[in-house]
Amino acid sequence: MAREYEQKAQLAVEKAQQLGASMSEAYIATGKELSIEISNQQVEALKMADEHGLGMRVIVDGRMGFAYSSDLSDRAIEQTVRQALANAEKSHADEHNVLPKPSSQYPELKLLDEQIAKTAIEDKIALAKEIELQARSYDPRVKITESCTYQDAEYTVTLFNSYGITKTYQGAYCGAYAYVVAEENGDNQTGFGLTFSLRYKDLDPAKVGKEAAQKAVRMLGAKEIGTQKASVVLDPYVATNFLGVLAPALSAEAVQKGKSVFAGKIGEKVSSDVITIIDDGALEGAIMSSPFDGEGVATRQTTLIANGVLQGYLHNTYTARKEGVESTGNGIRGTFKSTPEVGTTNFYIKPGQVTQEQLLKDISKGLYVTEVMGMHTANPISGDFSVGAAGIWIENGELTTPVRGVAIAGNIIDFLEAIDLVANDLTFFVGRGAPTVRIARMTISGN
Amino acid sequence: MLEKKDLSHVLEIALQRGGDFAEVYLEQKQTTGIACEADKIERVVSGSDVGAGIRVISGENTLYAFTNDISKEGLTKAADIVSRAVQGAQKDITLDLQIVKPELDFPVVKRPEAVHIDDKVAVVQKANKVARAVDDKIKQVTVSYGDVVQKVTIANSLGNFVEDERVRTRLVVNAVAAEGGVIQTGYEAIGGFAGFEYFEENTPEDLANQAAKRAVLMLQAKPAPAGKMPVVMAGEAGGTMVHEACGHGLEADLVQKKLSVYAGKKGKQVASELVTVVDDATIPGKYGSFRFDDEGNPGEKTVLIENGILKEYMYDYLTARKEGRKSTGNGRRESYQDRPIPRMTNTLIAPGKTDAEEIIRETQKGLFVKKMGGGQVNTTTGDFVFDVTEGYLIEDGKITVPVRGATLTGNGPAVLKIVDAVGRDLGFAIGTCGKDGQGVPVSDAQPTLRIPELIVGGILD
Repeated sequence: MAREYEQKAQLAVEKAQQLGASMSEAYIATGKELSIEISNQQVEALKMADEHGLGMRVIVDGRMGFAYSSDLSDRAIEQTVRQALANAEKSHADEHNVLPKPSSQYPELKLLDEQIAKTAIEDKIALAKEIELQARSYDPRVKITESCTYQDAEYTVTLFNSYGITKTYQGAYCGAYAYVVAEENGDNQTGFGLTFSLRYKDLDPAKVGKEAAQKAVRMLGAKEIGTQKASVVLDPYVATNFLGVLAPALSAEAVQKGKSVFAGKIGEKVSSDVITIIDDGALEGAIMSSPFDGEGVATRQTTLIANGVLQGYLHNTYTARKEGVESTGNGIRGTFKSTPEVGTTNFYIKPGQVTQEQLLKDISKGLYVTEVMGMHTANPISGDFSVGAAGIWIENGELTTPVRGVAIAGNIIDFLEAIDLVANDLTFFVGRGAPTVRIARMTISGN
Repeated sequence: MLEKKDLSHVLEIALQRGGDFAEVYLEQKQTTGIACEADKIERVVSGSDVGAGIRVISGENTLYAFTNDISKEGLTKAADIVSRAVQGAQKDITLDLQIVKPELDFPVVKRPEAVHIDDKVAVVQKANKVARAVDDKIKQVTVSYGDVVQKVTIANSLGNFVEDERVRTRLVVNAVAAEGGVIQTGYEAIGGFAGFEYFEENTPEDLANQAAKRAVLMLQAKPAPAGKMPVVMAGEAGGTMVHEACGHGLEADLVQKKLSVYAGKKGKQVASELVTVVDDATIPGKYGSFRFDDEGNPGEKTVLIENGILKEYMYDYLTARKEGRKSTGNGRRESYQDRPIPRMTNTLIAPGKTDAEEIIRETQKGLFVKKMGGGQVNTTTGDFVFDVTEGYLIEDGKITVPVRGATLTGNGPAVLKIVDAVGRDLGFAIGTCGKDGQGVPVSDAQPTLRIPELIVGGILD
């Protein structure tokens, strides 16, 4: 199959060059997906997918055009090539619109665990059922399953450009997650557990189920609290959510367009010393790893903030050329339907030395935040955020009673400066990861 | 596209090993996108996506497969795969598909494919130019135009055969203003179930002006206050609050799984008597409107809450079947890749009788929300949040200084019960609603509303 896609990609590029493109690139992605949702030990939904598509990028005299199609017949490919060329005519010429030449070296990564495809669907169903059993047996108050899901995908990515990049890679990943509800005295609280892995044998349904149950149960009886200033501790999941607001500001694209709070600050202190932020597209065993990015540039590790000092930004070929640097291999495509934009791969806060317990120990009063709502409304350009939050109250270093219905707000820059401790429990949630982090003092808006 | 008899065959294959409902959803989608940033047309993108989703329901289990290969062979193969996953009694079925005609129509005057790309580019350039001219402090402007022509064919084992087309057009402006190290943004989006004629009444100039002026205004805004206070939401603020505070909780899948605070409350008082909530797919031209939902049921107007009493939930085929009733036409999906689930269309709180100005005048102190952004809800607890993109303090019954960075948080039923004033105005906003990883176009609206106390997430001095 892979050979067939390479031929189609080559055909598309040759056609584009023939029809007048100065540079052209064909990106073909194909994939098979499976997801199994369990509720009350029944398969509530089973979904199988089979998908492929072509994203065609051409540059004509500095003008970029793009078109995509999920029809890979020769006729449709030619149509897509012609459409991309027509679109190029309407866009603005920019000398920095170029495609990359082949990288000198590509990382060697093990991305395809054959066990994922080999495992029988019945075993995968059993795995999803086990998550639910574990969640239910953790505590009798866990009474509702929103969903217990097993999911996997196998994919092939082929990239061909007019500079001679001809690369293909295959990969697969699998994951399991659970959302459950605990119920007591008319109070319903939700909890979730999640894990994704490149290897089937690394999935631990018991851990996922118990985690979801434990999170739901510990929130039972949550109460509102008054508005005040106190310490705030973000669990790895919540800290990862905050990292999502930071990611766009570290892209060179945002910087070049005057949309980043980090513009012009390379070499400057932008956060407290305890913060080191890394993006690593070649991280062994990580979900978002790949040998090359969405335009065929080799992936690598990039340190963005080292002990609080801004080191640089993430680049694709365009932004790198504009700044006169090398692409960091961060030209990311979500699907064949989009152009390679600057994005993150495996993006994380480097863990610290202390355990979560030690981090909590000297807090006299504060909020351990386990859930935030409305994170997507944070403004990555201004850095302003204001989110709904829930969690557990901390008193004299101990987690005490559950809290809900509060809000925390601020600016991401002040927030980064206010982090005073980072724990050693780095946890990844698909492509992003963070350890537990502590903010010495911030406003908690409540009753 | 495949013919009726081919689709009958595919449905028969899908049901060959059991199952009691089968459906084919065929989709052909053509999109155009134009993006302008840094004063230039950065990209013109067009796409063609074709595919089909095949669903079999067996008892309460749903089996779903999708493929890009929409040939008769491709669909038959997908149908066979789905049928193998069914655990039911084997049966022979013969189908006679009947064409279902739409009950309503939304005329599209200027179809996207009939409009020259230069005219679309011109709309984007106009918005860009106007936004940049608003103030020297405007440092960046992003304008995105998008149109989509989606043709669907839906055939199911109930014998229904529906062919429909949805045309949607939208324009988004994001302006960035900067002064003395502070960066702020202004965002505005418009769009509808309409062709290019949409811009005759909804001009790119107005949109650009609003977005750019908001970005500049927010530069002088103070951080929002923190804590509980009265909140007045303007009619023009959009309806994010109603969408989050009760809309999602009234979707039948969440209700049936007891994942909603509104479960088991039909006929009960769940909001103030002043509050009537409606979901209406039939309003001509709105972003969330349609003739048929994605299961081939006609779009409907459904009164969800009437004078505070919970009247109805929103159903798709599966959730309706579980209760032995009819769907309310709320079965929607993002694309052929997704199975349908109950979703909102155009959701609104009906206008009341009070003058909007009077509501503000009678509020001594609080927060005035002129524009809402996005939001989120935990339907199980009913706790919701939404973002304020333009807000002001109210002091002595007057709107005073602008504030920024506010999020309002509350509990759906608790908040709707204390609404104590409803204006006679009504303002719509558009958005993409996310649920189970699927985004669908929606619009929402509300009149001016007062909530005597709501938690504002802000900063203590």
